[in-house]
Amino acid sequence: MGPLIPNGVIPIEWDSIIAILIGIVFGFVLEASGFSSSRKLAGVFYGYDFAVLKVFFTAAVVSLIGLYYMDYLGYLDITQLYVHPLYLWGAIIGGIIMGAGFVAGGFCPGTSLCAVAIGKIDAFVYVGGIMVGVFIFSELFPILEPIYDGYFYGNITLQDSLGINPYWAVFIFSIIAIVAFVISDIVRKKQKKIFY
Amino acid sequence: MVKKKIAKVLAFRYKLLAAILILLAGGLVLLPKYQKHEGIKPEELLSNVISPERYITTDQVAHKLINRDPSFILIDVRDEKSYANYSLPNAINIPLKKLLEEDSRSYLNQNQFDVILFSNDHFYADQAWILCNRLGFKNIRVLKGGINNWFKTIINPLKPSENMPAEAFDLYTTRKAASMYFGVVYPEQANVAGSETKIEAPKRVITVQKKKKKPAEGGC
Repeated sequence: MGPLIPNGVIPIEWDSIIAILIGIVFGFVLEASGFSSSRKLAGVFYGYDFAVLKVFFTAAVVSLIGLYYMDYLGYLDITQLYVHPLYLWGAIIGGIIMGAGFVAGGFCPGTSLCAVAIGKIDAFVYVGGIMVGVFIFSELFPILEPIYDGYFYGNITLQDSLGINPYWAVFIFSIIAIVAFVISDIVRKKQKKIFY
Repeated sequence: MVKKKIAKVLAFRYKLLAAILILLAGGLVLLPKYQKHEGIKPEELLSNVISPERYITTDQVAHKLINRDPSFILIDVRDEKSYANYSLPNAINIPLKKLLEEDSRSYLNQNQFDVILFSNDHFYADQAWILCNRLGFKNIRVLKGGINNWFKTIINPLKPSENMPAEAFDLYTTRKAASMYFGVVYPEQANVAGSETKIEAPKRVITVQKKKKKPAEGGC
């Protein structure tokens, strides 16, 4: 039956509208979890607040388990889901730049827009910086193109590259999540309390 | 008092949620695995098999061809040699052994045209039909009797004897006219025309749109 749009249960023309609705809900959840505060986001790196790690890891694990149950019960064909293509070095270099920006500015691109929506001035500056970055990247694109298009490994997942049973992968991933939460709690307790 | 009790329970809430998460994830590992069933259910396949719509007669196909009906495609499931030797006008050759290849699928798995499968008899076409139906392809039919029957009924129709009903004569004239369309020259006609006028069925270009089954573009 699912996924709904590729199988024509919902016509493909609706996907932009659904994307907008999901975007609104996503933005609301980000704001409700306090992610429009750069101090909260930066807390992951300084060890006084691990909400970001917990929220995103929980979201990933819950949706992963839910998807596999739906696949098992036949409501969803997991092989039809979109898998992001891997451009290895593009991803590594981009990840480092994005991570540096994340630590320095205290936002990721999604949360920065969320913070703009509630009028945070640092977020305005941050989004301005994103625009400058986009401009520089576009101007340098001919030079960067070999990295951007190269080192292509296809739409692979961890299960493909490690060759393990997906169910075990989900189980191990959940254990890792729980362990990460416990460790992050221990780290947070050792840190001095910071009010922000 | 009640509040205290609630607080006591709530103190464990994260441990409880973590336990539920582990249980659910472990459940996935422990669930009995079964072979996934691709395609339609056996009951559905059976109902398709016994449906009279499964076959199309040679007369219907001839009618469609003569009227240049754009809504169908003919697929010859015999091997390439037989196809090169003779085939129906504008038929596409997909030998049975290549039926499941990616190129063939774009012709078989689409909603644009009706697909009519044929072979010498209808046995190979039937096998192709079963396979396609099992995979859930729509609008697939089989030419009853295949090319043999095509020759028997359309190209070389049997002249009815005098004691047959009028319908038989009507059918014969229709079939005879059809055979002329497909290039058969009758003696009485040949005398009149003098020169051979072979009417070729106009070549039809069949473009099949690939069924949309691309995964949605994603992004963050």
